[in-house]
Amino acid sequence: MRRPGGYACVTDPDGGRQECDTFTCAHCNRLTHVEPRQKPEDVGGLCRACMGLICRWCVGRACVPFLKKLDQMEARERALRSYGL
Amino acid sequence: MAKYAITGAQAAVSGSYKTVLDVFATSGSLRRGKVFDVLIGTNGTPADNYLQWDISRMTADGTGSAVTPNPLDPADVAALATAKSNYTAEPTIAANSSLFNVGVNQRASYRWVAAPGSELLFPAVAGNGLALRALSGGYTGSATGDFMYEEQ
Repeated sequence: MRRPGGYACVTDPDGGRQECDTFTCAHCNRLTHVEPRQKPEDVGGLCRACMGLICRWCVGRACVPFLKKLDQMEARERALRSYGL
Repeated sequence: MAKYAITGAQAAVSGSYKTVLDVFATSGSLRRGKVFDVLIGTNGTPADNYLQWDISRMTADGTGSAVTPNPLDPADVAALATAKSNYTAEPTIAANSSLFNVGVNQRASYRWVAAPGSELLFPAVAGNGLALRALSGGYTGSATGDFMYEEQ
């Protein structure tokens, strides 16, 4: 794939290697392996709102970038600590 | 942003998920983390069995052996996150939070490396982190896992 988000490699005991590109979903952070010549619609898609690659489970759902979710989790933690909880 | 290596093992793989290695934000010294390298394999008697590997989000610690993160650059300070391995009481795993699930032959090893910006992230929230777990229907020996991660 063009500009992959990662690389996976399985080394077999007989010395063989299977390699494939990966990407992490911009909405849920899930890792997706992309086999050579795999159809784009089989691995997910491109979110036109955040322009990030998304996994097939996030296709058709609202765009909430994962970094925004992390910010929300950390803000909640800070708020709870400020309340002494 | 310092990078660290952690290595772990699970001495007794079974038919239910056992945590091999995890890393999570420590209460009182919170920092966001990014796992960018995962290496998994086994070091038991070779045989043809499957192992199913999973990385999921954890929200609370269980009972495991402490692992000291090694800075990739010796000039970096000690890690703020906590790492543990060889769990005997599983950490709390968030439902439907699997980020990575792959079946690998026991004789094989698997490595994943992220490109910058495509890491597996965990928030700076106490007890929240990523747990590498394994199960097998036939293998009951030891499984090994390594992470490299960055603290932001």
